Amino acid sequence: MAINAVGREIPDFIEGYGKTKLFQGAFARKPEGNIAGPKLRCVNSDRTDKRVSGVKEAIIASGLKSGMTVSFHHHMRNGDYVVNMVIDACAELGIKDLTLFPTALFGVHKHLIDHIKSGVITKIMGSVNGPIGQLVSEGGMDVPVVLRSHGGRPRAVMAGDVHIDVAFIAAPTADQYGNICGTQGPSACGSLGYAFTDAQYADCVVAITDNLQPFPVSPVSISQVYADYVVEVQSIGDPAGIVSGTTKVTRDPLRLLISRYASLLIEASPYFKDGISFQTGAGGIPLAVTAFMKQAMIKKGIKGSFGLGGITGYFVELLREGLVEKLMDVQSFDLDAVRSIGENPNHIEISADWYANPWNNGAAVNMLDVVILGATEVDTSFNANVNTEADGALLHGTGGHQDTAAGAKLTIIAQPLLRGRIPCVTDKVVTVTTPGEVVDAVVTEYGVTINPKRKDLIDACAAVKGLPVVSMEELAARAAKMSGPTDDIKMTDKIVGVVEWRDGTVIDVVRGLKK
Amino acid sequence: MKTAQAGTLESMDCLVTVTEAQSGAGVKIDITGASAARFRTAMEKKITEVLSAMKVSDIEIQVQDNGALDIVLGARVEAAVKRLGGAA
Repeated sequence: MAINAVGREIPDFIEGYGKTKLFQGAFARKPEGNIAGPKLRCVNSDRTDKRVSGVKEAIIASGLKSGMTVSFHHHMRNGDYVVNMVIDACAELGIKDLTLFPTALFGVHKHLIDHIKSGVITKIMGSVNGPIGQLVSEGGMDVPVVLRSHGGRPRAVMAGDVHIDVAFIAAPTADQYGNICGTQGPSACGSLGYAFTDAQYADCVVAITDNLQPFPVSPVSISQVYADYVVEVQSIGDPAGIVSGTTKVTRDPLRLLISRYASLLIEASPYFKDGISFQTGAGGIPLAVTAFMKQAMIKKGIKGSFGLGGITGYFVELLREGLVEKLMDVQSFDLDAVRSIGENPNHIEISADWYANPWNNGAAVNMLDVVILGATEVDTSFNANVNTEADGALLHGTGGHQDTAAGAKLTIIAQPLLRGRIPCVTDKVVTVTTPGEVVDAVVTEYGVTINPKRKDLIDACAAVKGLPVVSMEELAARAAKMSGPTDDIKMTDKIVGVVEWRDGTVIDVVRGLKK
Repeated sequence: MKTAQAGTLESMDCLVTVTEAQSGAGVKIDITGASAARFRTAMEKKITEVLSAMKVSDIEIQVQDNGALDIVLGARVEAAVKRLGGAA
């Protein structure tokens, strides 16, 4: 056991994970050595068609065996059919003991629970949302889940921490030689950003499509040089679950007030000028912040340079109206975003590596001025938890939280002080996902609470009329007074989750829940 | 058995169901829902306080919580008990 830089006790060795490296600070660890790579392959002109007749045939052709690692991307979100389809086929082929390496899992993947119980899947590295998170928290897996950020995942692959044996890529459109396009077809999802690393670094790449088109398809997102096999299936996803029809700004007056305060903070910051770049995601509060910022930008004649991350119709509107020059899109959240990325050359598809990897020659997050994030809870040192719920259950992936917080010049966590009775500001968070050193401000309905190390922001906000500045101590005391004393969570000794910082060090571990 | 209810399942509210109990049966509290994992002790304390202020010693109380603060929980318990007694 040793204590890491955010005060968490981390064992030297975790069964099923291996030797740990201690988190020592957001930018402390430097890479060594070379990028790890996949097998070399050779395809000559005698092979001009990579199609195989079905998913099972592709699995057999890929050489997938028990004990190997399979990867998936999550652009089909809660409409995904591919993960369940592939794992079902693995089970039927008698393949066991697989390590699942998805970019994220959703509610639709609760189907995998049977395969976890029967030993087809014995390890998961990737975010576990919903029912699988609950299962893991209750001790349903022998080895811990490994949680990595959107940037930490490609880093882990390129550093050789994780080797992908077979990558299965849900391809909204593909040709017989494995050129893949995300913006067309009945299951169009827009950006395929998270799938790039898998295509580039897996020993074998299988594209699964429900829209096979003649060679060559265009525009190409992931090219033929990566694909080993192409499989045509009836459907790769349910469009209703892949994209939401609309993304809505919150109408809740409390959340609107929080959004207003966050927008005032941004306007008071030194970054609110021509060329501002920002990431706001798809939540109700961040969208409302964007709406308030838009008004302020128009009023003051300011134009932004780019919007980053998961892209919504709201960002597309900013692009169309010229309020941002470009969109850099790792995941298209709604139909407007899917359409836009297919049509507008200023709406750029970026990979997770490009977006957020700390170990390349500079990720897009480094160019960010402002990011608006949420968190389950924040402690008085500004450490944020996004992985576990207040009851200790492992329920959320890290997403881009760590990467954008580390990259952006102004990282804001905006949310109500209480969710139900549960305080969002506490003395000690259940799990540390993102260290306080990269969080600049917490915004609640009581005003802005600024990290003491950002004296410049405290001064800037003090001059703004109608923007209360509340110290972290005051905020925590208020939360504690309203919610009342909490009971301790009853945890077992078993480690069910390992939370990596984006550089591969361990920032925290998650323990099992006592029934 | 006579029962009465107060509250809703809206966010930050709770639904309190009270059932009369025989004399000497004591107070039985059952709490489920959003805050139960972290606030059981505080919730039981609040319920007990309200009951003793109302001089109720034999009752079954079921709370389906959706994040109610103490002040809301207390009010809902009081209303449900009064309804059970025919007061409201």
